[in-house]
Amino acid sequence: MSERYTEEALVRVEGVTKRYGELRAVDDVTLEIRPGEIFALLGPNGAGKTTLIGCITGLISQFEGSVDVAGFDVVRDYRITRRLVGLVPQELNYDAFFNVRQVLEFQGGYFGEKPSPERIDELLKQFDLYEKQDANTRWLSGGMKRRLMICKALMHDPALLFLDEPTAGVDVELRDDLWSYVQELRRQGMTIVLTTHYLEEAEELADRIGIINRGRLLRVDARETLMDKLGHRHLDIELGGGGAARWVERFGDLELEALDDRRLRLRYGGVEDKGGELEVDRLLRSLVEGGATIRSVEGGRSSLEEIFRTVLEEDTRRNGAGGER
Amino acid sequence: MRGEADAKRGVAGSPPPEAEEAARLRIARLVHKAQKRHFTGPWTLFYKEILRFATIAWQTVISPVVTTMLYFLVFGYSLGDRLDEIQGVTYVDFLVPGLVMLALITNAYINSAFSLFIAKIHGTIVDLLVTPLTYTQFMTAYILAAVVRAMLIGGIIWGVALLMGAGVLYNVPVALLFMILTATAFALVGLVIAIVGEDFDHINLLPSFLITPLTFLGGVFYSIEMLPEPWDTVSLFNPVLYMVNGVRYGMVGVSDVPVWHGVVLLVAMNLIFGALAMWLLKTGKKIRE
Repeated sequence: MSERYTEEALVRVEGVTKRYGELRAVDDVTLEIRPGEIFALLGPNGAGKTTLIGCITGLISQFEGSVDVAGFDVVRDYRITRRLVGLVPQELNYDAFFNVRQVLEFQGGYFGEKPSPERIDELLKQFDLYEKQDANTRWLSGGMKRRLMICKALMHDPALLFLDEPTAGVDVELRDDLWSYVQELRRQGMTIVLTTHYLEEAEELADRIGIINRGRLLRVDARETLMDKLGHRHLDIELGGGGAARWVERFGDLELEALDDRRLRLRYGGVEDKGGELEVDRLLRSLVEGGATIRSVEGGRSSLEEIFRTVLEEDTRRNGAGGER
Repeated sequence: MRGEADAKRGVAGSPPPEAEEAARLRIARLVHKAQKRHFTGPWTLFYKEILRFATIAWQTVISPVVTTMLYFLVFGYSLGDRLDEIQGVTYVDFLVPGLVMLALITNAYINSAFSLFIAKIHGTIVDLLVTPLTYTQFMTAYILAAVVRAMLIGGIIWGVALLMGAGVLYNVPVALLFMILTATAFALVGLVIAIVGEDFDHINLLPSFLITPLTFLGGVFYSIEMLPEPWDTVSLFNPVLYMVNGVRYGMVGVSDVPVWHGVVLLVAMNLIFGALAMWLLKTGKKIRE
């Protein structure tokens, strides 16, 4: 092995299907994760996110299709692939027999890492668990258990970290800390795959976003592309003199709406839609030339939540309302 | 803030070049590391399993020893004096191997069954399933820890009996061989049940309705020569009879059945349950679904 990994993808998921009886929890998913990226997997509950992660991390060993990590098959060469991967599972767990420090020592040990007190101290401090190091893990709060699970996944310093809804039940402050820590881990060369319901944060963090629903990966795009394709921009204009409705009538061909007597909202396409920019130009020029006083102009764009809803609605329409397969 | 982040990202959807480079170096380094063989993993699991029962030794070691010693006092010393010798051995001495096996079988089963089943219930099994531990290493660590606990309890009971004056050192290697093979066999049974079991009832059912009755009827307290027809013949179908008598031969030199029958039976039982446990772990049935 050279001293530098040269393949395009770190993870290759090819045609993976996982059936539970009639149900396809994961349905013919093909996906690549690239070295050093932060990839967000988004989907409603039961969409198949956790099952897909299970197929990659080894929690699920029987599935159709193939998954390899760094060129090694996750079923045949599991000993190698599992060394590369760390997982923070969604379900909280605890070991009633041991304290926080012991649990971390063991977790590193399973991966062949001899217990390093410095490494454990560093993680405990990072995740605000240092004071709790001697506490039995059973008595930790939900948020603390979650943090301990993150520490466990980092004990063997993996190349690829899966965070399955890691901020569920964690307070806002810690959530923000966690996300900046994720950025830091990525800077150190960790590739990160996360699932989350906090879509704003996925938007803030992820380089690419995959949208999954009913087991099928509907769309994978760069975050910016996704926003451009599906995102809509709007411009809110506050007028000095009122009479917003009059302007709406005058620009019948624009998607213009009067929010109240003084405020107009223009909706236009994504960033790639050059025509949209012309719409803005046309409207503002006409307003000024028509004698309107513009008090303020404020731009905005649709959130990932809205995009997400649009994609899911498209999918549902395509598959019929029932969507049974 | 977002603008700044976007600028650093470069091409849409690509990680920052320096992060990608760091990742490529890290992957190469870890792939190299992952290919090395080491025993830290299985050793850690074995050590953790030992520590698990040792931290609650009052429940897992002391309590079964005390319970067994009560049998010893009641049946051995109180009633034993009124009983005749069996095959030339005093009843107290005759009883010791039976009681050792009673405790050994139960604890070997309970240790592996409960430990793995609790990990399943509390969800910590996930922490093990994602590790590079091989299926053999996983199985060996659980089984060895259960055998250590069973041997520890069996050994203490045997030792206490010696201190109390029992003559139970006829052929120590044979006794130890039977104890180890029996403990391994029942630890494997426990592991299999923990993998396939779905609630605590499944784990408790086997000791209550099969293991304990078979052990009690397997010549712990008596010789089958003392049983009327047809029960002495029926007893020959009880596998535990061969295990108890193997240890009894090793401790006091008498046995109802040929000792080699017991060895064959135990080796077969270990192979069957070992293969079953291995198959379950390899296919991921019930735990990697």
